[in-house]
Amino acid sequence: MTTESTAAEPAASSEPTDVDSTAAENSASTGTPKSPRALARARKRQSLARFWRAYRSHRSGLWGLAALVLIALIALAAPLLAGADAQSVTDTPGGPLELPSGEFPLGTDQFGRSVLALLVWGARVSLTVGLLAAVLCVAIGTVVGIVAGHFRGWYSTVLMRVTDWFLVMPTLVLAIALATVMDRSIWTVILAIGVTTWPTTARLVRAQTLAVESRPYIERSRALGGGHGHIMLRHVLPNVMPLVLAQTTLVISSAILTEATLAFLGLGDPTITSWGGMLQDAREAGAVSAGDWWYLAPPGIAVAVVALAFTLCGRAIESVLNPRLGVSR
Amino acid sequence: MDTPAQQDRHGRGRTHHRRPLRLLLAAGAAAFTLTAGLATPLNPAPERAKAADDGKKVLTVAVAQSVDSLSPFLAQRLLSTSIHRLMYEYLTNYDPKDNHTIPGFATEWEPSADKLTWTYTIRSDSTWSDGEKATAADAAFTFNKMMTDEGAATANGSFVGNFKKVTAPSPTKLVIELKKPQATMAALDVPIVPEHIWKDVDDYAKFNNDETFPVVGNGPFVLTDYKVDQYVRLKANKTFWRGAPKFDELVFKTYKDQDAAVAALRKGEVSFVAGAPALTPAQAASLKGEKNIKVNEGPGRRFFALATNPGAQTKDGEKFGDGNKALLDQRVRQALFLSVDRKTIIDKVFQGHAVEGEGYIPPRFSTYFWKPSDSQKLAYDPEKAAELLDEAGYKLKGDQRVGKDGKPLNLRILCHATDPNDKAVGKYLKEWWGELGIGLTVNCLDDVSVPWYAGEYDLAFDGWSVNPDPDFVLGIHTCAALPAKAKESAATDNFICDKTYDELYQKQLAEYDPAKRADIVKQMQSWLYDSGYMNILGYPNAVEAYRTDQIKSIQTMPTAAGNIYGQDGYWSWWSAVPAGDTSEASAGGDSGSTGAVIGIVVAVVVLAAGGILIAMRRRTTADDRE
Repeated sequence: MTTESTAAEPAASSEPTDVDSTAAENSASTGTPKSPRALARARKRQSLARFWRAYRSHRSGLWGLAALVLIALIALAAPLLAGADAQSVTDTPGGPLELPSGEFPLGTDQFGRSVLALLVWGARVSLTVGLLAAVLCVAIGTVVGIVAGHFRGWYSTVLMRVTDWFLVMPTLVLAIALATVMDRSIWTVILAIGVTTWPTTARLVRAQTLAVESRPYIERSRALGGGHGHIMLRHVLPNVMPLVLAQTTLVISSAILTEATLAFLGLGDPTITSWGGMLQDAREAGAVSAGDWWYLAPPGIAVAVVALAFTLCGRAIESVLNPRLGVSR
Repeated sequence: MDTPAQQDRHGRGRTHHRRPLRLLLAAGAAAFTLTAGLATPLNPAPERAKAADDGKKVLTVAVAQSVDSLSPFLAQRLLSTSIHRLMYEYLTNYDPKDNHTIPGFATEWEPSADKLTWTYTIRSDSTWSDGEKATAADAAFTFNKMMTDEGAATANGSFVGNFKKVTAPSPTKLVIELKKPQATMAALDVPIVPEHIWKDVDDYAKFNNDETFPVVGNGPFVLTDYKVDQYVRLKANKTFWRGAPKFDELVFKTYKDQDAAVAALRKGEVSFVAGAPALTPAQAASLKGEKNIKVNEGPGRRFFALATNPGAQTKDGEKFGDGNKALLDQRVRQALFLSVDRKTIIDKVFQGHAVEGEGYIPPRFSTYFWKPSDSQKLAYDPEKAAELLDEAGYKLKGDQRVGKDGKPLNLRILCHATDPNDKAVGKYLKEWWGELGIGLTVNCLDDVSVPWYAGEYDLAFDGWSVNPDPDFVLGIHTCAALPAKAKESAATDNFICDKTYDELYQKQLAEYDPAKRADIVKQMQSWLYDSGYMNILGYPNAVEAYRTDQIKSIQTMPTAAGNIYGQDGYWSWWSAVPAGDTSEASAGGDSGSTGAVIGIVVAVVVLAAGGILIAMRRRTTADDRE
C-alpha cells in the first residue's frame, strides 16, 4: 500500500487497515495476551457487528439494501433470465411495439424485442456505469481532498481553486462536452461522469482530513518521524474511509441518473442497451406521442428505483458512520 | 443530489426519511391523478383554422431542420431551398402531376441548331414585391454573378460551370451560350434574384439575406421575418402571376423534437408536420385514428444508402483521411453489401414505410429508375459474402476476419445522431457483419460533416433528395467534385473518382434526346452498383400529417399518392385551401387548461414543502413536546 511504511503502529491509529492474514493463528486464544494484530482484528470484527446492528435499525436502509441485492442478482443472471440473444435485433420474437401480453409481460420495442428482457440486460450497463463512475469520482475526490487537507499553503490553495472551478461548472454540460468530443462508448460515459462529479467528495474529504490532522496523535506520529505518506495513508485515510464509503453509495445514484441522462440525450453507445438508452430509443421511435407507455415507463421506473435504493443505503450508512449524525441526543 | 445530502450532513441532526418520503409519494400521486384527469380533455380540443387577431389565415408548418442560409446562392438544405422556391421564381417549374417541365419565370425556351445557344422568353407579368418589374436582366445578373463570383457559386455552381455567356437583349429575352451541350437547360433549379437589390451585396460568400425584411422577391410568398431556429414567416404575394395563395401567412416553425411537433399537431398549434425525414411508424399509426388529422404517405424523393470511403483524395490526387484499406478491394465492399438484408430493414426499421433499394435513383422518377439484373444483383447471401472475403484474403480466425497483415478487420460507420433510422440500421449491420467476423463501431455524431470532409470514416450512412433531373445527384460522384485542398468542403458526396463514370456523366450531360440520356444515366447507376461504393438500402416514404380542420385541401406531388413537404416546386403551400371559416373558439381553452395544470403542480409542490416543513418542525421540537 505504501512505499515508506515503517513499522506499523496499529495502536496509534484508531482504525488500522492492516488486514494481514498471517496473524490468524493467535486470534482465537482469549487468556494469553493478544498480539496487536489479533487485537485489531477482534476490534474490527466488533465494529463491523456494531455497524450492522446500527444499520439494521434503519429500516429504509434495509429496504434499499434488499432492493439492491435483488437488482444485482437479476443483472448477474441476465443471460439466464432473459436469454443471451434478447438484445439481438435480427432475430426477434415479437412484432414492433406490441402491447404487454402473456408472452411479453412489458410489451415489445420497435424491433420486436421484449422490453422486460431489455430491462434486465440494461440493469447490467446501468449498474456497471454507476459503480465504476462513482469509484472513479470518489477516488479522484479522496486523493485531492487528502492531499489538499494535508499539505497546507499554496499547494492546497491551488488544488482547492481547481476543485472550486470544477464545482461551479455545471456537471451535465461538462459531461456532455466530454462525451461529445470523445468516442461514443461506455468508457467515455464513465470517464465523463467520474471527472465531473468529484469536487463535492474532495471538499468533504478535505474537511475531514483537516479535522483528523488536528488530533494530538497525528502530532505524536509526526514527532516520532512519520512522513507525509505515512500520515496520509496510515492515519488520515482510515479515518476518512467511512465518509468516503457513505459518499460512494450516494454518488452511485447520481452517477446512474447522469448515465441515463447522457444516454437519453443520445451521447451513449447506441449499440449497447442501457436504461437511458432505452428511453432514448423509445423517444426516437415516437413512443411518447404514440402513447406506448410500456416502452417508456419501465426503464424510467427502473432508474428511479435503483437511484432510490442507493440513496437509502447511502443515507443509512452515513448516519451510522458519521459521528455527528449517528449519535442522537 | 449533492446539495441536499450535504445539508443533512451538516444539518439538524438525525434524519428520518420515512415520513417526508411517504408524504412526497402521496403528493406525487395526487399531482399525477389530477393532471391525468386533465390530460384527456386536453387532447380533443381541436382549434379551428388558426387565425391571428386580425382574422389572417395562417398555415403553420412544423419543421425539424434549421435554415443554413436564406441566400439562394448559399442555401443547400431542403428547408432553405423549399423556402427559396416560395420566395423567388425559377426559369422553369415542374408539373405537379407528372414532373414534366412547365413554364416558370420563362414561358418558352429553345436550343439553337448547334445545341450551344438557348433562348428563353421571360414573362412580362411578374413584378418584384417592391413594385419593380422582374425582367430578363435579373436572370442574366443572377447567372453572371454565379459565373464570376466564386462565393455566389456555392450552392448551384454546377449549373453554370458550362456557361460561356449570359445576356438579356430585351426585358423578355434571355440568351445563354454554352461551351458544350448541356441537357439540364430546361431544369435550371436556380432562384432568380432582383438585380437592383443584390448588386449592392459585397461578399456573396458571407451575405445571408437576413438583414432587411421583407425580402424582395417575386414568388408566391414574401419572406417577412426570420428568427434563427425559431421560425420563418412568409406572407402571401397577392400579385403573384399564377394567382395569389389562399392562406395569408405561412410560418415554418422549428420543432427540434418530433414528438413535440406531433403533440403540437394534435393540439392544433401547427397545421402540418413534415417529419424529419418522416414520421416514425408509431407516430403515423397513432395519428391515423385521430379525428381531423390526415396522414399523408407518398413515395419519397430520397434514397437511404451506405457509402464506403474509396480513399479520400483531392482533385490533384493527394490522398488524405484514414479510411480502412480493406475497403479499397471491391470484393470486400461487395461482401459487406451481400450480407445486408435490405428486406428486413424495410420491414423492421421502416415497418413498410419505405421501398427496398435497387438503383441509385428512386422509382418515383420512372424515366431514370434502374434495377440490377438478376445476375448482377447483390441479394442477401452471407455465404457468398464469406467466400468473397476468403478470396480477398480475409480468412476467418476464431470468430474474426483477419487480414494478411494479421490484423482483425474492424470497421467504423458514421451515423447521424439525429436520425433514428441510422442508429437502428446500425444495430442490424453490427449483427450481420459480426456473423461474418467483421467488427463494427457505430459512431453517431450530431455533425458528421467534419470527419466526412476529412475522409476520416470507413462507411457512412448517406442520403440525398433527388430532383426530377438527376444531373445534380450524379454530378456529386465525379472527379470534378473532389475538393481542391484536403479536408476542405466540396461538392463530392463520397470521394468517388472514376474515369468510366466521368465519361458517362459527360455523355449524359450532352445528350438532348431524353430516351438516350435516360439510357446513359442507367449505365451510370449500373456502374455505381457494381463498384460497391454505394449501397442503396431503400427509398423511405414521405410520411407527413396535417389537420383537416385547418387545411381543407392541399396539392400532393405527384397528384396521385405524392408528398407535400419538400416538393420540386411551390405547389403544396401555394395551393393549400384553408378549412371553412367556422367561428373562433380556440386559444383560450387551451391556455386555460395549461394554466390549470401549472396551478395544480404549484399547489402540490407548496403542499409537499409545507408538509415536510411541519414534519421537520415537529422533529426539532420533539424534545420540548415531551
